[in-house]
Amino acid sequence: MKVTLIWSSPFPEKTIAVAMRRCYSTKPIEDIEAELEQKGPEYWKYLLSKALQDRSLDVLEHFVLTLALEGTTDADVGLLVRAFPYLRATQLRPIDWLVTLNARTLVELWNDPRGKTLAQMVVSELSERGVCPIFNQLAFGMGANAS
Amino acid sequence: MRVKLLYHTDLDAIKRVLAQKEVVFDPEAMMDHVFYMFEIEDCSRVTTHQLVRHRAVSYDQESQRFSAATKEGVVTPPSVQSNETGYKAYDEALKAVYSAYERMVAAGVPKEDARYILPSAIKTKLIMTLNARSLMHLVWQRTALQAQWEIRELATTLRGLAQGATPELWTKIIER
Repeated sequence: MKVTLIWSSPFPEKTIAVAMRRCYSTKPIEDIEAELEQKGPEYWKYLLSKALQDRSLDVLEHFVLTLALEGTTDADVGLLVRAFPYLRATQLRPIDWLVTLNARTLVELWNDPRGKTLAQMVVSELSERGVCPIFNQLAFGMGANAS
Repeated sequence: MRVKLLYHTDLDAIKRVLAQKEVVFDPEAMMDHVFYMFEIEDCSRVTTHQLVRHRAVSYDQESQRFSAATKEGVVTPPSVQSNETGYKAYDEALKAVYSAYERMVAAGVPKEDARYILPSAIKTKLIMTLNARSLMHLVWQRTALQAQWEIRELATTLRGLAQGATPELWTKIIER
Protein backbone atom coordinates (compact mmCIF):
# COMPACT_ATOMS: atom_id res chain seq x y z
CA MET A 1 0.00 0.00 0.00
CA LYS A 2 1.23 3.49 -0.86
CA VAL A 3 -0.11 6.80 0.43
CA THR A 4 0.47 10.11 -1.37
CA LEU A 5 -0.81 13.44 -0.09
CA ILE A 6 -2.75 15.35 -2.76
CA TRP A 7 -3.98 18.31 -0.72
CA SER A 8 -4.32 19.41 2.90
CA SER A 9 -5.91 22.42 4.63
CA PRO A 10 -3.52 25.38 4.70
CA PHE A 11 -1.79 26.21 8.02
CA PRO A 12 -3.31 23.20 9.86
CA GLU A 13 -2.11 24.01 13.37
CA LYS A 14 -3.25 27.63 13.07
CA THR A 15 -6.60 26.46 11.70
CA ILE A 16 -7.10 24.19 14.73
CA ALA A 17 -6.14 27.13 16.98
CA VAL A 18 -8.72 29.33 15.19
CA ALA A 19 -11.39 26.69 15.91
CA MET A 20 -10.42 26.64 19.58
CA ARG A 21 -10.42 30.40 19.94
CA ARG A 22 -13.76 30.71 18.11
CA CYS A 23 -15.47 28.96 21.03
CA TYR A 24 -14.17 31.42 23.61
CA SER A 25 -13.90 34.71 21.74
CA THR A 26 -16.51 37.28 20.71
CA LYS A 27 -14.11 38.81 18.19
CA PRO A 28 -14.47 38.67 14.39
CA ILE A 29 -12.37 36.05 12.62
CA GLU A 30 -9.79 38.57 11.35
CA ASP A 31 -9.02 39.62 14.94
CA ILE A 32 -8.66 36.00 16.06
CA GLU A 33 -6.32 35.28 13.14
CA ALA A 34 -4.27 38.41 13.89
CA GLU A 35 -4.02 37.44 17.57
CA LEU A 36 -2.85 33.93 16.66
CA GLU A 37 -0.35 35.28 14.14
CA GLN A 38 1.04 37.68 16.72
CA LYS A 39 1.33 35.00 19.44
CA GLY A 40 2.97 32.57 17.01
CA PRO A 41 3.46 28.77 16.77
CA GLU A 42 4.27 28.27 20.46
CA TYR A 43 0.76 29.45 21.32
CA TRP A 44 -0.81 27.22 18.63
CA LYS A 45 1.14 24.36 20.15
CA TYR A 46 -0.21 25.19 23.60
CA LEU A 47 -3.82 25.24 22.32
CA LEU A 48 -3.37 22.02 20.34
CA SER A 49 -1.82 20.18 23.27
CA LYS A 50 -4.74 21.31 25.44
CA ALA A 51 -7.26 20.02 22.88
CA LEU A 52 -5.49 16.64 22.72
CA GLN A 53 -5.17 16.45 26.49
CA ASP A 54 -8.86 17.26 27.06
CA ARG A 55 -9.87 15.01 24.15
CA SER A 56 -11.69 17.99 22.63
CA LEU A 57 -11.04 16.47 19.24
CA ASP A 58 -13.83 18.32 17.40
CA VAL A 59 -11.43 21.18 16.64
CA LEU A 60 -9.22 18.76 14.68
CA GLU A 61 -12.07 18.22 12.20
CA HIS A 62 -11.22 21.50 10.43
CA PHE A 63 -7.87 20.08 9.28
CA VAL A 64 -8.73 18.04 6.18
CA LEU A 65 -6.52 15.78 4.05
CA THR A 66 -7.02 14.32 0.58
CA LEU A 67 -4.84 11.34 -0.31
CA ALA A 68 -4.17 8.89 -3.10
CA LEU A 69 -4.14 5.33 -1.81
CA GLU A 70 -2.54 2.77 -4.11
CA GLY A 71 -2.45 -1.00 -3.81
CA THR A 72 -5.49 -1.46 -1.55
CA THR A 73 -8.34 -3.88 -2.09
CA ASP A 74 -12.10 -3.28 -1.94
CA ALA A 75 -12.24 -5.41 1.20
CA ASP A 76 -9.63 -3.35 3.06
CA VAL A 77 -11.18 -0.01 2.11
CA GLY A 78 -14.67 -1.36 2.86
CA LEU A 79 -13.55 -2.26 6.37
CA LEU A 80 -12.19 1.24 6.90
CA VAL A 81 -15.21 3.16 5.62
CA ARG A 82 -17.56 1.04 7.73
CA ALA A 83 -15.49 1.52 10.87
CA PHE A 84 -14.72 5.22 10.26
CA PRO A 85 -17.80 6.93 8.78
CA TYR A 86 -16.06 10.27 8.28
CA LEU A 87 -13.46 8.68 6.00
CA ARG A 88 -14.54 9.11 2.37
CA ALA A 89 -13.18 6.81 -0.33
CA THR A 90 -13.76 6.78 -4.08
CA GLN A 91 -12.42 3.96 -6.20
CA LEU A 92 -10.38 5.29 -9.11
CA ARG A 93 -9.03 1.98 -10.47
CA PRO A 94 -9.28 -1.61 -9.13
CA ILE A 95 -6.73 -1.03 -6.35
CA ASP A 96 -6.37 2.77 -6.46
CA TRP A 97 -8.46 5.10 -4.27
CA LEU A 98 -9.06 8.74 -3.55
CA VAL A 99 -9.45 9.15 0.22
CA THR A 100 -10.43 12.21 2.26
CA LEU A 101 -10.37 12.38 6.04
CA ASN A 102 -9.92 14.91 8.79
CA ALA A 103 -7.31 14.99 11.53
CA ARG A 104 -9.77 13.69 14.13
CA THR A 105 -10.36 10.58 12.04
CA LEU A 106 -6.60 10.26 11.62
CA VAL A 107 -6.20 10.20 15.42
CA GLU A 108 -9.00 7.62 15.66
CA LEU A 109 -7.35 5.47 12.97
CA TRP A 110 -4.06 5.71 14.87
CA ASN A 111 -5.72 4.45 18.06
CA ASP A 112 -7.55 1.54 16.38
CA PRO A 113 -5.87 -1.69 15.25
CA ARG A 114 -8.02 -1.67 12.08
CA GLY A 115 -6.69 1.74 11.08
CA LYS A 116 -3.21 1.82 12.54
CA THR A 117 -1.32 0.79 9.38
CA LEU A 118 -3.03 3.44 7.26
CA ALA A 119 -2.59 6.07 10.00
CA GLN A 120 1.12 5.34 10.25
CA MET A 121 1.54 5.72 6.50
CA VAL A 122 -0.42 8.99 6.45
CA VAL A 123 1.56 10.40 9.39
CA SER A 124 4.81 9.38 7.72
CA GLU A 125 3.74 11.09 4.46
CA LEU A 126 2.73 14.25 6.35
CA SER A 127 6.01 14.18 8.21
CA GLU A 128 8.09 13.78 5.03
CA ARG A 129 6.31 16.73 3.45
CA GLY A 130 6.57 18.85 6.61
CA VAL A 131 2.84 19.59 6.50
CA CYS A 132 2.03 19.79 10.22
CA PRO A 133 5.14 19.25 12.38
CA ILE A 134 3.54 20.46 15.61
CA PHE A 135 0.48 18.26 15.17
CA ASN A 136 2.60 15.22 14.28
CA GLN A 137 4.78 15.75 17.31
CA LEU A 138 1.93 16.23 19.78
CA ALA A 139 -0.54 13.67 18.44
CA PHE A 140 1.81 10.93 17.24
CA GLY A 141 5.11 11.71 18.98
CA MET A 142 7.76 9.12 19.73
CA GLY A 143 6.46 6.55 22.19
CA ALA A 144 3.21 8.45 22.77
CA ASN A 145 -0.27 7.63 21.59
CA ALA A 146 -2.62 10.41 20.62
CA SER A 147 -4.42 11.29 23.79
CA MET B 1 -24.79 38.55 8.85
CA ARG B 2 -21.32 38.04 7.44
CA VAL B 3 -19.99 34.84 5.85
CA LYS B 4 -16.39 34.24 4.82
CA LEU B 5 -14.86 31.27 3.02
CA LEU B 6 -11.65 30.52 4.93
CA TYR B 7 -10.37 27.74 2.65
CA HIS B 8 -11.52 25.16 0.16
CA THR B 9 -10.01 22.02 -1.31
CA ASP B 10 -7.84 22.59 -4.36
CA LEU B 11 -9.93 20.75 -6.94
CA ASP B 12 -7.19 21.18 -9.57
CA ALA B 13 -4.79 19.15 -7.39
CA ILE B 14 -7.30 16.26 -7.40
CA LYS B 15 -7.90 16.65 -11.14
CA ARG B 16 -4.17 16.35 -11.82
CA VAL B 17 -4.10 13.00 -10.00
CA LEU B 18 -7.16 11.82 -11.93
CA ALA B 19 -5.48 12.80 -15.21
CA GLN B 20 -2.28 10.91 -14.28
CA LYS B 21 -4.35 7.82 -13.62
CA GLU B 22 -6.47 8.39 -16.75
CA VAL B 23 -9.66 8.55 -14.70
CA VAL B 24 -12.51 10.69 -16.06
CA PHE B 25 -13.44 13.64 -13.80
CA ASP B 26 -16.87 12.99 -12.28
CA PRO B 27 -18.17 15.99 -10.29
CA GLU B 28 -20.68 13.79 -8.45
CA ALA B 29 -17.92 11.52 -7.08
CA MET B 30 -15.73 14.49 -6.14
CA MET B 31 -18.40 15.98 -3.87
CA ASP B 32 -17.20 13.77 -1.01
CA HIS B 33 -13.65 15.04 -1.34
CA VAL B 34 -14.01 18.80 -1.77
CA PHE B 35 -14.25 20.62 1.57
CA TYR B 36 -15.05 24.21 2.50
CA MET B 37 -14.37 25.97 5.80
CA PHE B 38 -16.60 28.98 6.52
CA GLU B 39 -16.77 31.63 9.21
CA ILE B 40 -20.35 32.79 9.89
CA GLU B 41 -20.83 35.90 12.02
CA ASP B 42 -23.82 37.72 13.44
CA CYS B 43 -26.59 35.37 12.53
CA SER B 44 -29.11 34.46 15.24
CA ARG B 45 -29.04 31.34 17.40
CA VAL B 46 -32.45 30.56 15.84
CA THR B 47 -30.61 30.00 12.59
CA THR B 48 -27.67 28.10 14.05
CA HIS B 49 -30.15 25.72 15.75
CA GLN B 50 -31.47 25.00 12.26
CA LEU B 51 -27.96 24.83 10.80
CA VAL B 52 -26.58 22.24 13.21
CA ARG B 53 -29.34 19.81 12.24
CA HIS B 54 -27.29 19.22 9.07
CA ARG B 55 -24.99 16.22 9.53
CA ALA B 56 -21.45 15.28 8.60
CA VAL B 57 -20.49 18.89 9.29
CA SER B 58 -17.93 20.17 11.78
CA TYR B 59 -18.98 23.18 13.85
CA ASP B 60 -17.24 25.29 16.48
CA GLN B 61 -19.42 28.06 17.89
CA GLU B 62 -18.90 31.00 20.21
CA SER B 63 -19.83 29.83 23.70
CA GLN B 64 -22.29 31.71 25.88
CA ARG B 65 -20.71 30.06 28.88
CA PHE B 66 -17.76 32.42 28.68
CA SER B 67 -18.74 35.47 26.62
CA ALA B 68 -21.12 38.10 27.94
CA ALA B 69 -24.32 38.89 26.05
CA THR B 70 -25.49 42.39 25.13
CA LYS B 71 -28.85 43.71 24.00
CA GLU B 72 -27.22 45.22 20.91
CA GLY B 73 -26.21 41.76 19.71
CA VAL B 74 -29.61 40.52 18.55
CA VAL B 75 -31.23 39.88 15.18
CA THR B 76 -34.62 41.50 14.61
CA PRO B 77 -36.72 39.74 11.94
CA PRO B 78 -38.06 42.09 9.20
CA SER B 79 -41.65 41.11 10.09
CA VAL B 80 -41.06 42.39 13.64
CA GLN B 81 -39.13 45.45 12.48
CA SER B 82 -41.96 46.56 10.22
CA ASN B 83 -44.73 45.96 12.74
CA GLU B 84 -45.06 48.82 15.17
CA THR B 85 -46.92 46.88 17.88
CA GLY B 86 -44.84 43.77 17.34
CA TYR B 87 -41.57 45.69 17.53
CA LYS B 88 -42.64 47.44 20.73
CA ALA B 89 -43.39 44.07 22.38
CA TYR B 90 -40.09 42.63 21.08
CA ASP B 91 -38.05 45.56 22.32
CA GLU B 92 -39.71 45.58 25.74
CA ALA B 93 -39.12 41.85 26.18
CA LEU B 94 -35.45 42.19 25.17
CA LYS B 95 -34.93 45.05 27.60
CA ALA B 96 -36.49 43.00 30.42
CA VAL B 97 -34.44 39.90 29.56
CA TYR B 98 -31.13 41.73 29.32
CA SER B 99 -31.82 43.69 32.47
CA ALA B 100 -32.43 40.39 34.31
CA TYR B 101 -29.30 38.83 32.73
CA GLU B 102 -27.10 41.74 33.76
CA ARG B 103 -28.51 41.75 37.28
CA MET B 104 -27.88 38.02 37.65
CA VAL B 105 -24.28 38.30 36.41
CA ALA B 106 -23.67 41.33 38.65
CA ALA B 107 -25.04 39.32 41.58
CA GLY B 108 -22.54 36.56 40.93
CA VAL B 109 -24.59 34.06 38.91
CA PRO B 110 -22.15 32.42 36.46
CA LYS B 111 -22.65 33.50 32.83
CA GLU B 112 -23.21 29.86 31.90
CA ASP B 113 -26.31 29.82 34.15
CA ALA B 114 -27.53 33.39 33.59
CA ARG B 115 -27.63 32.63 29.84
CA TYR B 116 -30.63 30.34 30.32
CA ILE B 117 -32.78 33.44 30.07
CA LEU B 118 -31.23 34.76 26.84
CA PRO B 119 -33.32 34.94 23.65
CA SER B 120 -32.81 32.84 20.52
CA ALA B 121 -32.49 36.14 18.64
CA ILE B 122 -28.99 36.61 20.06
CA LYS B 123 -26.22 36.96 17.47
CA THR B 124 -23.54 34.30 17.35
CA LYS B 125 -20.36 33.41 15.50
CA LEU B 126 -19.20 29.99 14.34
CA ILE B 127 -16.89 28.17 11.99
CA MET B 128 -18.16 25.32 9.87
CA THR B 129 -16.28 22.78 7.75
CA LEU B 130 -18.15 20.47 5.38
CA ASN B 131 -17.85 18.76 2.06
CA ALA B 132 -19.67 19.66 -1.13
CA ARG B 133 -22.15 16.80 -0.70
CA SER B 134 -23.28 18.00 2.74
CA LEU B 135 -23.31 21.62 1.60
CA MET B 136 -25.38 20.82 -1.47
CA HIS B 137 -27.96 19.05 0.66
CA LEU B 138 -28.06 22.03 3.02
CA VAL B 139 -28.43 24.46 0.09
CA TRP B 140 -31.13 22.34 -1.53
CA GLN B 141 -33.20 22.27 1.67
CA ARG B 142 -32.54 25.73 3.03
CA THR B 143 -32.92 27.79 -0.14
CA ALA B 144 -36.41 26.34 -0.64
CA LEU B 145 -39.26 28.82 -0.31
CA GLN B 146 -40.50 27.02 2.80
CA ALA B 147 -37.18 27.72 4.58
CA GLN B 148 -37.04 30.66 6.97
CA TRP B 149 -35.66 33.97 5.69
CA GLU B 150 -32.46 34.05 7.72
CA ILE B 151 -31.19 30.56 6.95
CA ARG B 152 -32.28 31.05 3.34
CA GLU B 153 -30.06 34.11 3.19
CA LEU B 154 -27.24 32.11 4.79
CA ALA B 155 -27.64 29.12 2.44
CA THR B 156 -27.74 31.40 -0.61
CA THR B 157 -24.52 33.08 0.51
CA LEU B 158 -22.80 29.73 1.22
CA ARG B 159 -23.81 28.50 -2.21
CA GLY B 160 -22.43 31.63 -3.89
CA LEU B 161 -19.07 31.30 -2.14
CA ALA B 162 -18.75 27.56 -2.86
CA GLN B 163 -19.81 28.04 -6.45
CA GLY B 164 -17.26 30.81 -6.91
CA ALA B 165 -14.49 28.62 -5.48
CA THR B 166 -15.33 25.35 -7.27
CA PRO B 167 -17.74 26.16 -10.13
CA GLU B 168 -17.44 22.70 -11.72
CA LEU B 169 -19.20 21.07 -8.76
CA TRP B 170 -22.04 23.58 -8.73
CA THR B 171 -23.37 23.51 -12.28
CA LYS B 172 -26.64 22.18 -10.85
CA ILE B 173 -28.04 21.45 -7.41
CA ILE B 174 -28.47 17.71 -7.07
CA GLU B 175 -31.63 16.88 -5.11
CA ARG B 176 -31.30 14.26 -2.44
